Amino acid sequence: MNLAQFSANKEVAFIILLIIGLLVFATLLFFIWGKLKPEANLIELKLRTKSWWTMALVFILAIVINPIISYFAFGLLSFMALREITTISKNVRDVDRRIMIWCYIAIPIQFILAYNGYFNLFVIFIPVVMFIFISFMLVIKGETTEIGRSMSVIPTQLMLTVFSLSHLAFLLSLPQIAGFNAGGRGLLLFVVFITEINDVFQFTWGKLLGRHAIIPKISPNKTWEGFIGGIITTTVLGYFLRFLTPFSEVESLVVSFVIACAGFVGDVVVSAVKRDIGLKDTGNLIPGHGGILDRIDSLAITSVVFFHIVYNLYYS
Amino acid sequence: MRSVFLFIIYRVIMRNFLRVIVGVKYSNIAVLNKHQQFILVANHNSHIDTMALMSALSFTQLKSTHPVAAGDYFGKSPLKSFITRLFTNALLIQRTKNAEGQNPIQAMSASLVKGDSLILFPEGSRGEPQKMQQFKKGVGLLLKKHPNIAYIPVYMTGMGRILPKGERLLIPFDSYVVFGEASYSQTDDTEAIVKEIEEKIIALGVAFQKSIFE
Repeated sequence: MNLAQFSANKEVAFIILLIIGLLVFATLLFFIWGKLKPEANLIELKLRTKSWWTMALVFILAIVINPIISYFAFGLLSFMALREITTISKNVRDVDRRIMIWCYIAIPIQFILAYNGYFNLFVIFIPVVMFIFISFMLVIKGETTEIGRSMSVIPTQLMLTVFSLSHLAFLLSLPQIAGFNAGGRGLLLFVVFITEINDVFQFTWGKLLGRHAIIPKISPNKTWEGFIGGIITTTVLGYFLRFLTPFSEVESLVVSFVIACAGFVGDVVVSAVKRDIGLKDTGNLIPGHGGILDRIDSLAITSVVFFHIVYNLYYS
Repeated sequence: MRSVFLFIIYRVIMRNFLRVIVGVKYSNIAVLNKHQQFILVANHNSHIDTMALMSALSFTQLKSTHPVAAGDYFGKSPLKSFITRLFTNALLIQRTKNAEGQNPIQAMSASLVKGDSLILFPEGSRGEPQKMQQFKKGVGLLLKKHPNIAYIPVYMTGMGRILPKGERLLIPFDSYVVFGEASYSQTDDTEAIVKEIEEKIIALGVAFQKSIFE
Protein backbone atom coordinates (compact mmCIF):
# COMPACT_ATOMS: atom_id res chain seq x y z
CA MET A 1 0.00 0.00 0.00
CA ASN A 2 1.40 3.39 -0.92
CA LEU A 3 0.77 6.88 0.37
CA ALA A 4 -2.02 7.59 -2.11
CA GLN A 5 -3.97 4.56 -0.95
CA PHE A 6 -3.16 5.51 2.59
CA SER A 7 -4.88 8.84 2.29
CA ALA A 8 -7.72 7.16 0.40
CA ASN A 9 -8.46 4.95 3.40
CA LYS A 10 -10.03 7.76 5.40
CA GLU A 11 -11.03 5.70 8.44
CA VAL A 12 -7.51 4.50 9.15
CA ALA A 13 -5.90 7.85 8.32
CA PHE A 14 -8.26 9.65 10.70
CA ILE A 15 -7.59 7.37 13.64
CA ILE A 16 -3.82 7.50 13.07
CA LEU A 17 -3.90 11.29 13.22
CA LEU A 18 -6.01 11.04 16.36
CA ILE A 19 -3.54 8.62 17.96
CA ILE A 20 -0.54 10.81 17.11
CA GLY A 21 -2.39 13.78 18.58
CA LEU A 22 -3.12 11.85 21.77
CA LEU A 23 0.49 10.67 22.01
CA VAL A 24 1.87 14.19 21.59
CA PHE A 25 -0.57 15.33 24.27
CA ALA A 26 0.39 12.49 26.65
CA THR A 27 4.13 13.02 26.10
CA LEU A 28 3.84 16.76 26.80
CA LEU A 29 1.56 16.17 29.78
CA PHE A 30 3.92 13.73 31.50
CA PHE A 31 6.94 15.91 30.65
CA ILE A 32 5.40 19.03 32.20
CA TRP A 33 3.90 17.06 35.10
CA GLY A 34 7.35 15.57 35.80
CA LYS A 35 8.96 19.04 35.70
CA LEU A 36 6.35 20.61 38.01
CA LYS A 37 6.24 17.70 40.45
CA PRO A 38 9.58 15.89 40.33
CA GLU A 39 8.55 13.68 43.25
CA ALA A 40 5.64 12.14 41.31
CA ASN A 41 6.47 8.63 40.11
CA LEU A 42 5.78 8.79 36.39
CA ILE A 43 8.17 6.05 35.22
CA GLU A 44 5.35 3.61 34.46
CA LEU A 45 3.35 6.24 32.55
CA LYS A 46 6.36 7.45 30.58
CA LEU A 47 7.37 3.91 29.65
CA ARG A 48 3.84 3.22 28.48
CA THR A 49 3.80 6.35 26.32
CA LYS A 50 7.14 5.35 24.86
CA SER A 51 5.92 1.90 23.89
CA TRP A 52 2.77 3.42 22.35
CA TRP A 53 4.96 5.65 20.21
CA THR A 54 6.86 2.58 19.03
CA MET A 55 3.62 0.73 18.26
CA ALA A 56 2.20 3.71 16.36
CA LEU A 57 5.38 4.22 14.34
CA VAL A 58 5.65 0.54 13.41
CA PHE A 59 1.99 0.58 12.38
CA ILE A 60 2.45 3.62 10.16
CA LEU A 61 5.63 2.20 8.62
CA ALA A 62 3.80 -1.03 7.86
CA ILE A 63 1.01 0.83 6.12
CA VAL A 64 3.25 3.13 4.13
CA ILE A 65 6.01 0.67 3.20
CA ASN A 66 4.92 -2.95 3.43
CA PRO A 67 2.38 -4.77 5.63
CA ILE A 68 4.89 -7.57 6.23
CA ILE A 69 6.66 -5.23 8.69
CA SER A 70 3.73 -5.74 11.07
CA TYR A 71 4.18 -9.50 11.07
CA PHE A 72 7.87 -9.12 11.87
CA ALA A 73 7.12 -6.56 14.57
CA PHE A 74 4.54 -8.76 16.29
CA GLY A 75 6.85 -11.75 15.91
CA LEU A 76 9.69 -9.86 17.57
CA LEU A 77 7.39 -8.59 20.30
CA SER A 78 6.15 -12.08 21.13
CA PHE A 79 9.74 -13.36 21.05
CA MET A 80 10.83 -10.76 23.59
CA ALA A 81 7.75 -11.38 25.72
CA LEU A 82 8.41 -15.13 25.72
CA ARG A 83 12.04 -14.55 26.62
CA GLU A 84 10.98 -12.35 29.50
CA ILE A 85 8.38 -14.75 30.87
CA THR A 86 10.73 -17.75 30.67
CA THR A 87 13.46 -15.73 32.39
CA ILE A 88 11.36 -14.69 35.36
CA SER A 89 9.51 -17.99 35.65
CA LYS A 90 10.76 -20.05 38.54
CA ASN A 91 8.40 -22.91 37.79
CA VAL A 92 10.55 -24.47 35.09
CA ARG A 93 13.40 -26.82 35.93
CA ASP A 94 17.01 -26.36 34.80
CA VAL A 95 16.77 -29.50 32.65
CA ASP A 96 14.02 -27.83 30.60
CA ARG A 97 16.47 -25.24 29.29
CA ARG A 98 16.95 -26.97 25.95
CA ILE A 99 13.20 -27.49 25.46
CA MET A 100 12.91 -23.72 25.08
CA ILE A 101 14.49 -23.85 21.63
CA TRP A 102 11.31 -25.52 20.33
CA CYS A 103 9.21 -22.70 21.73
CA TYR A 104 11.37 -20.19 19.84
CA ILE A 105 11.14 -22.23 16.64
CA ALA A 106 7.36 -22.17 17.02
CA ILE A 107 7.30 -18.35 16.70
CA PRO A 108 8.19 -18.05 12.99
CA ILE A 109 5.94 -21.01 12.18
CA GLN A 110 2.96 -19.41 13.93
CA PHE A 111 3.51 -16.08 12.16
CA ILE A 112 3.95 -17.73 8.76
CA LEU A 113 0.60 -19.43 9.33
CA ALA A 114 -0.88 -16.05 10.23
CA TYR A 115 0.65 -14.38 7.18
CA ASN A 116 -0.76 -16.98 4.82
CA GLY A 117 -4.11 -16.99 6.57
CA TYR A 118 -4.21 -20.74 7.23
CA PHE A 119 -6.90 -20.31 9.86
CA ASN A 120 -7.40 -23.95 10.88
CA LEU A 121 -3.71 -24.68 11.36
CA PHE A 122 -3.17 -21.30 12.95
CA VAL A 123 -5.66 -21.87 15.77
CA ILE A 124 -4.44 -25.37 16.64
CA PHE A 125 -0.70 -25.04 16.12
CA ILE A 126 0.23 -23.82 19.61
CA PRO A 127 -2.64 -25.09 21.79
CA VAL A 128 -2.64 -28.58 20.24
CA VAL A 129 0.50 -29.33 18.19
CA MET A 130 3.02 -27.54 20.42
CA PHE A 131 1.25 -28.72 23.57
CA ILE A 132 1.64 -32.36 22.56
CA PHE A 133 5.10 -31.84 21.10
CA ILE A 134 6.52 -30.13 24.20
CA SER A 135 5.05 -32.78 26.50
CA PHE A 136 6.64 -35.47 24.35
CA MET A 137 10.02 -33.73 24.26
CA LEU A 138 9.92 -33.45 28.05
CA VAL A 139 9.21 -37.18 28.26
CA ILE A 140 12.11 -37.96 25.91
CA LYS A 141 14.37 -35.94 28.18
CA GLY A 142 13.57 -38.55 30.81
CA GLU A 143 13.56 -36.39 33.94
CA THR A 144 10.18 -37.16 35.52
CA THR A 145 10.44 -35.29 38.81
CA GLU A 146 7.94 -32.43 38.62
CA ILE A 147 7.50 -33.03 34.89
CA GLY A 148 3.79 -32.21 35.12
CA ARG A 149 4.59 -28.67 36.17
CA SER A 150 6.85 -28.12 33.18
CA MET A 151 4.25 -29.70 30.89
CA SER A 152 1.71 -27.11 31.97
CA VAL A 153 3.91 -24.06 32.48
CA ILE A 154 5.80 -24.07 29.16
CA PRO A 155 2.71 -24.29 26.90
CA THR A 156 1.00 -21.64 29.02
CA GLN A 157 3.93 -19.31 28.50
CA LEU A 158 3.67 -19.87 24.75
CA MET A 159 -0.07 -19.19 24.88
CA LEU A 160 0.26 -15.94 26.83
CA THR A 161 2.90 -14.48 24.54
CA VAL A 162 3.14 -16.03 21.06
CA PHE A 163 -0.35 -17.44 20.54
CA SER A 164 -2.11 -14.31 21.77
CA LEU A 165 -0.06 -11.72 19.87
CA SER A 166 -0.14 -13.71 16.64
CA HIS A 167 -3.90 -13.05 16.54
CA LEU A 168 -3.15 -9.36 16.06
CA ALA A 169 -1.08 -10.30 13.01
CA PHE A 170 -3.79 -12.60 11.69
CA LEU A 171 -6.26 -9.70 11.68
CA LEU A 172 -4.18 -8.26 8.82
CA SER A 173 -4.57 -11.48 6.82
CA LEU A 174 -8.37 -11.46 6.94
CA PRO A 175 -10.01 -11.16 3.50
CA GLN A 176 -11.74 -7.98 2.33
CA ILE A 177 -15.45 -7.70 3.02
CA ALA A 178 -17.62 -5.74 0.60
CA GLY A 179 -18.67 -2.40 2.08
CA PHE A 180 -16.09 -2.46 4.88
CA ASN A 181 -13.17 -0.24 3.92
CA ALA A 182 -10.92 -0.20 6.97
CA GLY A 183 -10.28 -3.96 6.72
CA GLY A 184 -7.78 -5.82 8.90
CA ARG A 185 -5.83 -2.63 9.59
CA GLY A 186 -8.95 -1.02 11.00
CA LEU A 187 -9.68 -4.04 13.19
CA LEU A 188 -6.09 -4.09 14.46
CA LEU A 189 -6.20 -0.38 15.28
CA PHE A 190 -9.56 -0.81 16.98
CA VAL A 191 -8.55 -3.63 19.33
CA VAL A 192 -5.14 -2.13 20.23
CA PHE A 193 -6.55 1.36 20.75
CA ILE A 194 -9.55 0.16 22.78
CA THR A 195 -7.35 -2.09 24.92
CA GLU A 196 -4.80 0.63 25.68
CA ILE A 197 -7.42 3.30 26.30
CA ASN A 198 -9.19 0.86 28.62
CA ASP A 199 -5.96 0.43 30.61
CA VAL A 200 -5.59 4.19 30.81
CA PHE A 201 -9.16 4.80 31.98
CA GLN A 202 -9.21 1.93 34.49
CA PHE A 203 -6.03 3.48 35.91
CA THR A 204 -7.35 7.06 35.80
CA TRP A 205 -10.78 6.33 37.33
CA GLY A 206 -9.05 4.21 39.96
CA LYS A 207 -6.77 7.12 40.88
CA LEU A 208 -9.63 9.63 40.93
CA LEU A 209 -12.38 7.67 42.68
CA GLY A 210 -10.85 4.37 43.77
CA ARG A 211 -12.02 3.27 47.23
CA HIS A 212 -12.85 -0.42 47.19
CA ALA A 213 -10.13 -2.87 46.23
CA ILE A 214 -11.29 -5.52 43.80
CA ILE A 215 -8.60 -8.20 44.32
CA PRO A 216 -6.25 -6.79 46.96
CA LYS A 217 -4.09 -9.91 47.10
CA ILE A 218 -3.07 -9.73 43.45
CA SER A 219 -3.16 -6.08 42.54
CA PRO A 220 -3.68 -3.57 45.35
CA ASN A 221 -4.20 -0.70 42.90
CA LYS A 222 -7.21 -2.26 41.18
CA THR A 223 -10.48 -0.89 42.47
CA TRP A 224 -14.16 -1.44 41.67
CA GLU A 225 -14.48 2.26 40.80
CA GLY A 226 -11.59 2.08 38.32
CA PHE A 227 -12.89 -1.14 36.80
CA ILE A 228 -16.46 0.11 36.29
CA GLY A 229 -15.41 3.60 35.20
CA GLY A 230 -12.99 2.07 32.71
CA ILE A 231 -15.60 -0.27 31.27
CA ILE A 232 -18.15 2.53 30.78
CA THR A 233 -15.63 4.88 29.16
CA THR A 234 -14.24 2.16 26.90
CA THR A 235 -17.69 1.02 25.81
CA VAL A 236 -18.70 4.56 24.89
CA LEU A 237 -15.43 5.16 22.97
CA GLY A 238 -15.82 1.84 21.16
CA TYR A 239 -19.25 2.94 20.01
CA PHE A 240 -17.78 6.06 18.39
CA LEU A 241 -14.87 4.16 16.83
CA ARG A 242 -17.09 1.53 15.21
CA PHE A 243 -16.27 2.98 11.77
CA LEU A 244 -13.03 0.97 12.02
CA THR A 245 -15.01 -2.25 12.22
CA PRO A 246 -17.88 -3.89 10.36
CA PHE A 247 -19.96 -3.81 13.59
CA SER A 248 -23.48 -2.54 13.97
CA GLU A 249 -24.20 -0.07 16.79
CA VAL A 250 -25.26 -2.76 19.26
CA GLU A 251 -22.38 -5.05 18.27
CA SER A 252 -19.83 -2.29 18.81
CA LEU A 253 -21.17 -1.64 22.33
CA VAL A 254 -21.11 -5.33 23.26
CA VAL A 255 -17.66 -5.96 21.76
CA SER A 256 -16.12 -2.91 23.47
CA PHE A 257 -17.64 -4.03 26.76
CA VAL A 258 -16.17 -7.51 26.32
CA ILE A 259 -12.73 -6.08 25.40
CA ALA A 260 -12.79 -3.90 28.50
CA CYS A 261 -13.50 -6.93 30.70
CA ALA A 262 -10.94 -9.09 28.86
CA GLY A 263 -8.32 -6.35 29.30
CA PHE A 264 -8.91 -6.43 33.02
CA VAL A 265 -8.57 -10.23 33.00
CA GLY A 266 -5.24 -10.06 31.11
CA ASP A 267 -3.95 -7.41 33.47
CA VAL A 268 -4.65 -9.40 36.64
CA VAL A 269 -3.53 -12.73 35.17
CA VAL A 270 -0.08 -11.33 34.37
CA SER A 271 -0.03 -9.56 37.75
CA ALA A 272 -0.71 -12.89 39.44
CA VAL A 273 2.09 -14.61 37.50
CA LYS A 274 4.48 -11.91 38.69
CA ARG A 275 3.15 -11.91 42.25
CA ASP A 276 3.82 -15.65 42.37
CA ILE A 277 7.56 -15.11 41.88
CA GLY A 278 7.83 -11.96 43.95
CA LEU A 279 8.42 -9.61 41.06
CA LYS A 280 7.54 -5.99 41.59
CA ASP A 281 4.21 -4.93 40.18
CA THR A 282 5.72 -2.39 37.82
CA GLY A 283 8.04 -5.00 36.37
CA ASN A 284 11.64 -4.20 35.83
CA LEU A 285 12.42 -0.83 37.30
CA ILE A 286 15.58 -0.07 35.37
CA PRO A 287 14.28 2.52 32.92
CA GLY A 288 13.95 1.31 29.38
CA HIS A 289 14.74 -2.30 30.20
CA GLY A 290 12.37 -5.23 29.97
CA GLY A 291 8.89 -4.91 31.30
CA ILE A 292 7.45 -6.13 28.02
CA LEU A 293 4.92 -8.28 29.83
CA ASP A 294 3.69 -5.16 31.61
CA ARG A 295 3.07 -3.55 28.25
CA ILE A 296 1.21 -6.43 26.67
CA ASP A 297 -0.62 -7.91 29.66
CA SER A 298 -4.13 -6.87 28.69
CA LEU A 299 -3.47 -7.26 24.95
CA ALA A 300 -2.55 -10.89 25.54
CA ILE A 301 -6.20 -11.66 26.33
CA THR A 302 -8.09 -8.99 24.37
CA SER A 303 -6.39 -9.91 21.08
CA VAL A 304 -7.62 -13.52 21.19
CA VAL A 305 -11.12 -12.65 22.45
CA PHE A 306 -11.62 -9.87 19.90
CA PHE A 307 -10.26 -11.95 17.03
CA HIS A 308 -12.67 -14.80 17.62
CA ILE A 309 -15.67 -12.51 18.03
CA VAL A 310 -14.92 -10.77 14.73
CA TYR A 311 -14.08 -14.01 12.98
CA ASN A 312 -17.28 -15.73 14.01
CA LEU A 313 -19.46 -12.74 13.25
CA TYR A 314 -18.07 -11.73 9.86
CA TYR A 315 -15.48 -14.10 8.42
CA SER A 316 -16.62 -17.67 9.01
CA MET B 1 42.15 -1.94 10.14
CA ARG B 2 42.20 -3.84 13.39
CA SER B 3 39.91 -1.36 15.12
CA VAL B 4 37.48 -1.31 12.20
CA PHE B 5 37.39 -5.11 12.25
CA LEU B 6 36.71 -5.20 15.99
CA PHE B 7 34.15 -2.43 15.68
CA ILE B 8 32.18 -4.36 13.08
CA ILE B 9 32.40 -7.60 15.05
CA TYR B 10 31.40 -6.15 18.40
CA ARG B 11 29.53 -2.89 18.02
CA VAL B 12 27.71 -3.69 14.80
CA ILE B 13 27.11 -7.44 14.89
CA MET B 14 27.64 -8.77 18.40
CA ARG B 15 26.03 -5.95 20.35
CA ASN B 16 22.82 -6.03 18.32
CA PHE B 17 22.73 -9.81 18.40
CA LEU B 18 23.17 -9.80 22.19
CA ARG B 19 20.57 -7.13 22.79
CA VAL B 20 17.85 -8.18 20.37
CA ILE B 21 18.17 -11.96 20.22
CA VAL B 22 20.04 -13.11 23.31
CA GLY B 23 18.49 -10.57 25.69
CA VAL B 24 21.51 -8.85 27.27
CA LYS B 25 20.71 -5.53 28.93
CA TYR B 26 23.23 -2.94 30.11
CA SER B 27 22.94 -0.68 33.09
CA ASN B 28 25.11 2.37 33.83
CA ILE B 29 27.10 1.73 30.67
CA ALA B 30 27.99 5.45 30.52
CA VAL B 31 30.67 4.91 33.17
CA LEU B 32 32.92 3.50 30.43
CA ASN B 33 33.03 6.80 28.58
CA LYS B 34 34.35 8.66 31.60
CA HIS B 35 37.66 6.80 31.66
CA GLN B 36 40.39 6.25 29.13
CA GLN B 37 42.08 3.37 30.90
CA PHE B 38 40.46 0.95 33.32
CA ILE B 39 40.34 -2.59 34.62
CA LEU B 40 36.90 -4.16 34.35
CA VAL B 41 36.45 -6.70 37.13
CA ALA B 42 33.47 -9.00 36.72
CA ASN B 43 31.97 -12.24 37.94
CA HIS B 44 32.07 -15.08 35.44
CA ASN B 45 29.53 -17.71 34.37
CA SER B 46 29.64 -18.09 30.62
CA HIS B 47 31.52 -17.31 27.43
CA ILE B 48 28.77 -14.74 26.85
CA ASP B 49 30.33 -12.63 29.65
CA THR B 50 33.39 -11.65 27.60
CA MET B 51 31.28 -10.98 24.51
CA ALA B 52 28.88 -8.80 26.49
CA LEU B 53 31.69 -6.73 28.02
CA MET B 54 33.57 -6.33 24.74
CA SER B 55 30.35 -5.21 23.04
CA ALA B 56 29.98 -2.44 25.59
CA LEU B 57 33.27 -0.78 24.57
CA SER B 58 33.66 2.16 22.22
CA PHE B 59 35.57 2.25 18.94
CA THR B 60 38.85 3.38 20.50
CA GLN B 61 38.51 1.27 23.62
CA LEU B 62 37.97 -1.95 21.67
CA LYS B 63 41.45 -1.93 20.21
CA SER B 64 43.21 -1.34 23.51
CA THR B 65 41.19 -3.56 25.82
CA HIS B 66 42.30 -7.10 26.52
CA PRO B 67 40.20 -9.72 28.24
CA VAL B 68 42.55 -11.79 30.35
CA ALA B 69 42.00 -15.44 29.51
CA ALA B 70 43.42 -18.75 30.63
CA GLY B 71 46.26 -19.80 28.36
CA ASP B 72 45.87 -23.44 29.36
CA TYR B 73 42.29 -23.40 27.99
CA PHE B 74 42.21 -20.92 25.12
CA GLY B 75 45.80 -21.54 24.07
CA LYS B 76 45.53 -25.30 24.07
CA SER B 77 46.09 -25.59 20.36
CA PRO B 78 47.70 -23.03 18.02
CA LEU B 79 44.39 -22.72 16.14
CA LYS B 80 42.35 -22.04 19.30
CA SER B 81 44.92 -19.51 20.42
CA PHE B 82 44.89 -17.78 17.03
CA ILE B 83 41.10 -17.56 16.94
CA THR B 84 40.94 -16.25 20.50
CA ARG B 85 43.53 -13.58 19.77
CA LEU B 86 41.99 -12.62 16.43
CA PHE B 87 38.48 -12.13 17.74
CA THR B 88 39.00 -10.91 21.28
CA ASN B 89 42.40 -9.25 21.63
CA ALA B 90 42.81 -11.60 24.55
CA LEU B 91 45.82 -11.61 26.81
CA LEU B 92 46.52 -15.28 27.43
CA ILE B 93 48.07 -16.10 30.78
CA GLN B 94 48.97 -19.33 32.54
CA ARG B 95 46.64 -20.03 35.45
CA THR B 96 49.11 -22.40 37.08
CA LYS B 97 52.67 -21.35 37.78
CA ASN B 98 54.97 -23.10 35.33
CA ALA B 99 58.59 -24.05 35.65
CA GLU B 100 59.97 -21.15 33.65
CA GLY B 101 58.53 -18.86 36.28
CA GLN B 102 56.53 -16.85 33.75
CA ASN B 103 54.57 -14.47 35.89
CA PRO B 104 51.02 -13.77 34.72
CA ILE B 105 50.92 -10.53 36.74
CA GLN B 106 53.91 -9.22 34.80
CA ALA B 107 52.18 -9.74 31.44
CA MET B 108 49.07 -7.90 32.63
CA SER B 109 51.16 -5.18 34.18
CA ALA B 110 53.09 -4.67 30.95
CA SER B 111 49.92 -4.07 29.01
CA LEU B 112 48.69 -1.58 31.62
CA VAL B 113 51.99 0.30 31.34
CA LYS B 114 51.42 0.50 27.59
CA GLY B 115 48.19 2.35 28.38
CA ASP B 116 45.87 -0.54 27.60
CA SER B 117 42.82 -1.65 29.57
CA LEU B 118 42.02 -5.11 30.92
CA ILE B 119 38.96 -7.26 31.52
CA LEU B 120 39.44 -9.56 34.49
CA PHE B 121 37.36 -12.42 35.84
CA PRO B 122 38.94 -13.06 39.24
CA GLU B 123 36.83 -16.16 39.83
CA GLY B 124 39.26 -17.88 37.48
CA SER B 125 36.76 -20.19 35.80
CA ARG B 126 33.11 -20.04 34.84
CA GLY B 127 32.05 -22.45 37.57
CA GLU B 128 28.49 -23.37 38.29
CA PRO B 129 25.82 -21.16 36.74
CA GLN B 130 24.59 -18.26 38.89
CA LYS B 131 27.04 -19.00 41.70
CA MET B 132 29.96 -16.80 42.60
CA GLN B 133 33.25 -18.40 43.61
CA GLN B 134 36.04 -17.08 45.78
CA PHE B 135 38.09 -14.41 43.98
CA LYS B 136 41.70 -15.15 43.12
CA LYS B 137 44.23 -12.59 44.32
CA GLY B 138 45.76 -11.60 40.97
CA VAL B 139 43.58 -8.53 40.64
CA GLY B 140 44.80 -7.37 44.07
CA LEU B 141 48.45 -7.75 43.12
CA LEU B 142 47.83 -5.87 39.90
CA LEU B 143 46.01 -2.95 41.51
CA LYS B 144 48.61 -2.70 44.22
CA LYS B 145 51.19 -2.22 41.49
CA HIS B 146 49.02 0.30 39.62
CA PRO B 147 47.09 2.32 42.18
CA ASN B 148 46.57 5.12 39.65
CA ILE B 149 44.47 2.98 37.31
CA ALA B 150 40.72 2.92 37.90
CA TYR B 151 38.89 -0.34 38.31
CA ILE B 152 35.21 -0.75 37.48
CA PRO B 153 33.31 -3.55 39.24
CA VAL B 154 30.75 -5.29 37.03
CA TYR B 155 27.95 -7.57 38.11
CA MET B 156 26.53 -9.93 35.52
CA THR B 157 23.57 -12.23 35.92
CA GLY B 158 21.64 -14.54 33.63
CA MET B 159 24.50 -15.43 31.28
CA GLY B 160 24.92 -18.78 33.00
CA ARG B 161 21.54 -19.84 31.66
CA ILE B 162 22.16 -18.61 28.12
CA LEU B 163 25.27 -20.69 27.62
CA PRO B 164 26.30 -22.66 30.71
CA LYS B 165 29.65 -24.36 30.99
CA GLY B 166 29.72 -27.48 28.84
CA GLU B 167 26.66 -26.50 26.78
CA ARG B 168 26.75 -25.76 23.08
CA LEU B 169 23.16 -24.72 22.43
CA LEU B 170 22.57 -21.05 23.09
CA ILE B 171 19.11 -20.27 24.51
CA PRO B 172 17.95 -16.66 24.86
CA PHE B 173 17.21 -15.40 28.36
CA ASP B 174 17.05 -11.87 29.73
CA SER B 175 20.39 -11.14 31.34
CA TYR B 176 22.00 -8.08 32.80
CA VAL B 177 25.37 -6.34 32.85
CA VAL B 178 25.43 -3.84 35.71
CA PHE B 179 28.43 -1.48 35.78
CA GLY B 180 29.45 -0.01 39.10
CA GLU B 181 31.26 3.28 39.63
CA ALA B 182 34.98 3.47 38.91
CA SER B 183 37.32 3.66 41.89
CA TYR B 184 40.97 3.37 42.85
CA SER B 185 42.55 0.92 45.26
CA GLN B 186 43.04 2.60 48.61
CA THR B 187 45.38 0.26 50.44
CA ASP B 188 48.60 -1.63 49.88
CA ASP B 189 47.15 -4.84 51.19
CA THR B 190 46.48 -7.28 48.35
CA GLU B 191 43.89 -9.29 50.26
CA ALA B 192 42.04 -6.15 51.28
CA ILE B 193 41.86 -4.93 47.69
CA VAL B 194 40.49 -8.27 46.49
CA LYS B 195 37.96 -8.31 49.30
CA GLU B 196 36.87 -4.75 48.57
CA ILE B 197 36.22 -5.55 44.92
CA GLU B 198 34.42 -8.77 45.74
CA GLU B 199 32.18 -6.91 48.16
CA LYS B 200 31.47 -4.20 45.61
CA ILE B 201 30.38 -6.75 43.01
CA ILE B 202 28.20 -8.56 45.54
CA ALA B 203 26.67 -5.22 46.58
CA LEU B 204 25.89 -4.41 42.93
CA GLY B 205 24.16 -7.78 42.70
CA VAL B 206 22.12 -7.25 45.84
CA ALA B 207 21.03 -3.77 44.74
CA PHE B 208 20.09 -5.11 41.33
CA GLN B 209 18.01 -8.00 42.68
CA LYS B 210 16.31 -5.57 45.06
CA SER B 211 15.32 -3.31 42.18
CA ILE B 212 13.45 -6.19 40.54
CA PHE B 213 12.07 -8.32 43.35
CA GLU B 214 10.03 -7.35 46.36
